[in-house]
Amino acid sequence: MATDMTTTGQREVIAAAAAPLLPLTLVAAPRKVNMFRLLAAMRLFMALVSFVLFIGLWQLVATWVGNRVLLPSPVQVAIALYTLGVEGEIFEHALVSTTRLAISLAVSVVLAIPLGFAMGLSDRLNAYLDPFIELLRPISGIAWIPLALFIFGVGDVLPVFIMVYVAFFPLLLNTIAGVRGVDPKLLNAARTMGVRPAPMLMHVLVPAALPMVMVGFRLAFAGAWSAIIAAELIGSPNGLGFAIEWYRELLMSPKVFAFILVIGLVGYLCDLLLRALQRVLTPWIEGTELA
Amino acid sequence: MSMMATSRAPQRLSRRAWLVQTTLVPLVLIGIWEVWAILAADPRAPAPTRVVESLIDLVVHGGLIMATLQSLGRVVSGFALALVIGVVLGILMGSIRWVRNLLDPIVESFRPIAPMAILPVAILWFGTGTPAALSIVSYAAFFPLLLNTVHGVSQVDRKLVLAARTMGVPRWRILTNVVLPASLPSILLGSRLAMGVAWTAIIAAELGVGAKSGGGGSGGIGAMMFIFYAYNIDLNAIVVCMIVVGVVALLIDRLFRLAERRLMPWRN
Repeated sequence: MATDMTTTGQREVIAAAAAPLLPLTLVAAPRKVNMFRLLAAMRLFMALVSFVLFIGLWQLVATWVGNRVLLPSPVQVAIALYTLGVEGEIFEHALVSTTRLAISLAVSVVLAIPLGFAMGLSDRLNAYLDPFIELLRPISGIAWIPLALFIFGVGDVLPVFIMVYVAFFPLLLNTIAGVRGVDPKLLNAARTMGVRPAPMLMHVLVPAALPMVMVGFRLAFAGAWSAIIAAELIGSPNGLGFAIEWYRELLMSPKVFAFILVIGLVGYLCDLLLRALQRVLTPWIEGTELA
Repeated sequence: MSMMATSRAPQRLSRRAWLVQTTLVPLVLIGIWEVWAILAADPRAPAPTRVVESLIDLVVHGGLIMATLQSLGRVVSGFALALVIGVVLGILMGSIRWVRNLLDPIVESFRPIAPMAILPVAILWFGTGTPAALSIVSYAAFFPLLLNTVHGVSQVDRKLVLAARTMGVPRWRILTNVVLPASLPSILLGSRLAMGVAWTAIIAAELGVGAKSGGGGSGGIGAMMFIFYAYNIDLNAIVVCMIVVGVVALLIDRLFRLAERRLMPWRN
């Protein structure tokens, strides 16, 4: 992290200063010595090794099984991935799923965060609403699928409903915790200086509660991403969750595995996006437990 | 919850006021639900009174208890499998640097793949019976167990391990007498989280297997719900199943919290 802030010139100075402490091989290297970059390179190398080993092992087992329906080889999956990509089917289903995800996260933000602020600020409201929320919370979103199938039918609304439900609780509870965790000294200081309620909310409460809200948002995303696969698999005519089961029924296993890879990839990319958003919105919590 | 209890304590609410606060909103909502069901004039509309009737009926001769026990049995065995694999791998990854560097990328690549995404593969490999459901439960429970064990083991105070080694304690004794007790809080936390996701996963797996195999086969409370949806549309029975799912989830959570307090009294 420190290297990001130093200029190239400074870095050389640091490297030179550290030189006597480093093993000979490192000092003798012609390029600039950078421990951080070296460590990162080593980790990248290990990651490459582990992927190669994993794919090699997969190939071995696939050859041994010798049945492309049961276990397609990595090559077959790569070919399936390529054809699905060229034909655009991957992007179609991925777009459907991510759109649903974005809509549901937006809806649950609109529902949960204002309610969370209200419940965090008012003990009375919290005392009345909390029992109801704790009554509903243990019922997982998945368990709503049969009832939601009856109410909404197979289509777009069912996965969105399930995801909104799943994302609502972590967002709400983390918002409440964030608002309650605001340092009372900050509030008292602002009050002493005559800050009125609206600026107090915008400039004191929201920034102070934001790190916890962001943690809730990432939890909400993780839950929703897990739930969408179940919801689409059972109750949707399109989307990534639908696609894996559709190709399973057609016994086209390479495509099943290709779509499972896509699910992992999209989930990973969304998480990266959220981490970036977290760094932009709450840069000051970098390196703490909330990051 | 604990935070709430502490903030409420100084107000010294009377027992009656507390009772009103906790039951008012749920009771009012249940009342509205009942009125809505009566006004809907549709015999299929679920209503609290009909749900209670349905609950009694399902317990007495609907096999609700058997289905719940079947699901619970799957969760416990899937969890046990994940516990063994997760804790052993977690200790290896937490204590040996190169194992961790080697396995971390693989684990992180699998983590964003939801348990339900494994279902089609599980059906291909194991059919629509218990093994398919079990594998999904184990997969779901594996990640919280592994990650928390790794975290716990790598957080163990180096000085304790070094001290034990200086005194000539054999490696495996260090593991059982120093590393494991020190990482127990993390492992227990991982177990609670794992049990929670495992219970969600079993419902999803049974629902999915039920939906994709024509409702037959696997049994369990998830399959039961799907049968009530697909064959004899009985919304009251579905709501009963949902309530049972919630109650079991709550009980599992409370049980593990109790275990955490009992096994580690120094934490609270």
